[in-house]
Amino acid sequence: MSETHAPAPHPDPSEQPFGVNEMRMAGRHWLAVAALLVAFVGLAPILWDRWERFEPGPDYRVPYALSADYRHTQRRLAAVPPGSIPVVGDSVVWGEYVRADGALSHFLSRKTGRPGRFANCGIDGVFPLAIEGLVTHYGGALRSRRVMLQCNMLWMSSPRSDLSAEKEETFNHAALVPQRFGAVPCYRADAAARLGAAVARSIDFFGWVSHLNSRYFEQASLPQWTLSEPSSGSHPNAWRLPGPALSLDEPASDPQRGPSSPRHKPWTAGGGSPQSFEWVGLDASLQWAAFRRTVATLRERGCDVMVVVGPFNEHMVAPEQRPRFRAMRDGIAGRLRRSGVAHVVPETLPSALYADASHPLTEGYAELARRLWRDTAFQAWATR
Amino acid sequence: MLFHTLPFLLFMAVALPGFYALRRTPLWAPWLLAASYFFYGWWNPWYLLLVVYSTGLDFLLVLLMDHCPARGEAAPDRRDRTLRWSLAAFGSAAAALAVGAVVGPAALRPTLLAFTTLVGLMALGEALADRRMWLLISLFNNLFLLLFFKYARFVATNLNALLGSLGSPLTMPDPASLTPPGWEYLLPVGISFFTFQSMSYTIDFYLGRVERERSLLRFATFVCFFPQLMAGPIERARNMLPQFRQAQPFRLQNLTDGLSLFLVGLFKKLALANYLSLYVERVYSDPASFGSPDLLLATFAFAWQIFFDFSGYTDMARGVARMMGFHLTLNFRNPYTATGLGDFWQRWHISLSSWFRDYVYIPLGGSRSGKAATYRNLFITFLVSGIWHGANWTFAVWGVMHAVGVIATRELERSPFYHHRVPRLLKQAGVFAYVCLAWVFFRAADVPQALLILRGMFAGPWMAPGAPGLMLALVGGVWAYQFAYESRWRPMLAAAPVRVGLAACMALYLALCSSGGGAFIYFQF
Repeated sequence: MSETHAPAPHPDPSEQPFGVNEMRMAGRHWLAVAALLVAFVGLAPILWDRWERFEPGPDYRVPYALSADYRHTQRRLAAVPPGSIPVVGDSVVWGEYVRADGALSHFLSRKTGRPGRFANCGIDGVFPLAIEGLVTHYGGALRSRRVMLQCNMLWMSSPRSDLSAEKEETFNHAALVPQRFGAVPCYRADAAARLGAAVARSIDFFGWVSHLNSRYFEQASLPQWTLSEPSSGSHPNAWRLPGPALSLDEPASDPQRGPSSPRHKPWTAGGGSPQSFEWVGLDASLQWAAFRRTVATLRERGCDVMVVVGPFNEHMVAPEQRPRFRAMRDGIAGRLRRSGVAHVVPETLPSALYADASHPLTEGYAELARRLWRDTAFQAWATR
Repeated sequence: MLFHTLPFLLFMAVALPGFYALRRTPLWAPWLLAASYFFYGWWNPWYLLLVVYSTGLDFLLVLLMDHCPARGEAAPDRRDRTLRWSLAAFGSAAAALAVGAVVGPAALRPTLLAFTTLVGLMALGEALADRRMWLLISLFNNLFLLLFFKYARFVATNLNALLGSLGSPLTMPDPASLTPPGWEYLLPVGISFFTFQSMSYTIDFYLGRVERERSLLRFATFVCFFPQLMAGPIERARNMLPQFRQAQPFRLQNLTDGLSLFLVGLFKKLALANYLSLYVERVYSDPASFGSPDLLLATFAFAWQIFFDFSGYTDMARGVARMMGFHLTLNFRNPYTATGLGDFWQRWHISLSSWFRDYVYIPLGGSRSGKAATYRNLFITFLVSGIWHGANWTFAVWGVMHAVGVIATRELERSPFYHHRVPRLLKQAGVFAYVCLAWVFFRAADVPQALLILRGMFAGPWMAPGAPGLMLALVGGVWAYQFAYESRWRPMLAAAPVRVGLAACMALYLALCSSGGGAFIYFQF
């Protein structure tokens, strides 16, 4: 420590050294940096989309690993051919336990005799509040076309599922729910996270960065990817260059799905039994309100919406609660009818065709498609 | 509110234009103070009271000091109205508080007792009319706040362990039980910084280095100026108060300079510090599972993490202040190119090391009384500086290691061989290696863990490390830039295309690859 300091009583503060090794830029330098940045932010996603071609086949569904890549979902919705009907919904539409060619859209397309007539636009893990965000912010392609929208009553089966409980919850796709404080009581993200989500929705560049991270870097940022440790002591990416990770191959489909996977079994096989649900009334349900808003948004965009209510596994509902369940299902149908929304409420499938409370097995989807097709109103709507 | 988050961006989007709009009116200072209080209150509005209290008390103490004679002046004028009134006020307040402490609710008793002591001391100071007394009260108050909020639990835990081992039935209460009802016992963010800044004003006034600030508004803005409130630089009144006398005129150069500083700081924090922290956290959270290479590299990475984190914060703070026309002190100057430990401390956290030099080392006698006394003073100063960082023995060991390092390099520099013949690069490497060893104690959870890491670094198994090449390349790039800047290559780096290119690369990297949020390390101090 030197004692040689003898500062003047009022040193000129502007004589302080600048620091940061004189990384000091004047206005014209900043203009140059801004021009470079704007060019990159504006052009990179567009050029990237040209390089990374996207041609989904008839049974295409968004890979599980890209569930949170909303920009990819946006591209998927835009890629649905004009004559096809996008089927929008949660993992029931997506096919949680089945392969892509075992999902509802596949069997419905078979009924029409035209592969790809119904396009699987389900996203794993979404719920009505998130679907509302998805349709509002990323579903611009859903305009002036027929849209099949699935209503899963599971999301109203308890205050927790409904996200109307006061206790803090962490859930998937939080970036899609309304970010206003108090809009979703159990969502307690801080202001930074809420603002971040709102900004990410509005600026395409951030969606593109998120797409890169989801698709090429194991759903992490590049720095996090270099540190990934799949098993103790293994660091496969520590010295890998990021370039070769960029390939045109989509993430492989999950082997844990389809008839040959151990998960593909009836809900009773693991000892499942009927349960009590704490149904949330439709008037109080946040998810139902979000669902109605989604329908309204689609109709405002000129879409011809067909709602499929279910297929909820009624066998899983405790017998004494079944009247309540049916009353609620009828209530949904009644409200849709009063609003003039085309809908169909298929009868509950046989118990052995369900994997859990709401997801059918492969044969369950085939049966559901048969039942929907038997509904003349639905068939007329689908073949119009 | 963190500089690298969107709420801060929004805050600035209001605060900065508001400041520019009001700069020609008398409202610019209240606006700045309101913005600063909002900024602090965003973290915890209750603890804002602490800042207000600390500010108000030091302002009052210096005012009272100003009414007492300086050394060599005549005795106080007993007819001085300020002194007369304040004696009466403090006397009655002390009596009322004492009554409240005895008969009042038990939950408020510790707080009331603390205030009784403080106000009692103030009444005594009034009776003695002695400047020294006011200075002591300021020191007592600021250090009490610091000790209570930062060290009380550490002291209580260690004392209780000691008393327990001696079989004593006595125990120290947990400090949380002494806080007023409704207050959570938290370490107030920035307490080490704003108390030191406020204290420096009272000491400097006592020593005649600064004039009394007559405006409470200006003084309050000085203590809690939002860019540097949370983690410094610890400013001196003589640098900042004159700047608050009038709003700076708008200059484009200030805005672009501020943006330049902010961008560099943002890059250091988001692209570098947060990236390094991912690796450091993994290794330091379970050091026994890692071999020598990982422990060595994680320690190396932590040395850079803390530099990028803290200097990044400081750059952003200086940038934000500069945008409004205020000039904050330089706090870092390429510390990992230092050739000695003394040199290191003239480059690392400069505002803190100069604070300790001026208010601890020199008052202890500095280097005026021979080598042994100098080294004793250095030792004490570094020990206190270590403890300032936190309530843990690891910080004390870190401080002692730096004291030993400073003394050792001083001695080495006296040797003609070391001074003239040892290559500069070797000295720099030696200093960096020593600083890294000390960082082990700074980062470890406790002393046994630090020793485990040190053992593992030199005698652990040799396993392939998991340190990413990209991370090492980024650090290597920055280090090379710093060496180049301190060499004859500096003019090349100053060329506009190089600066524009670097700024664009930093901005693009931030847009593409930043490693998420995370608070600044120095907020915990």
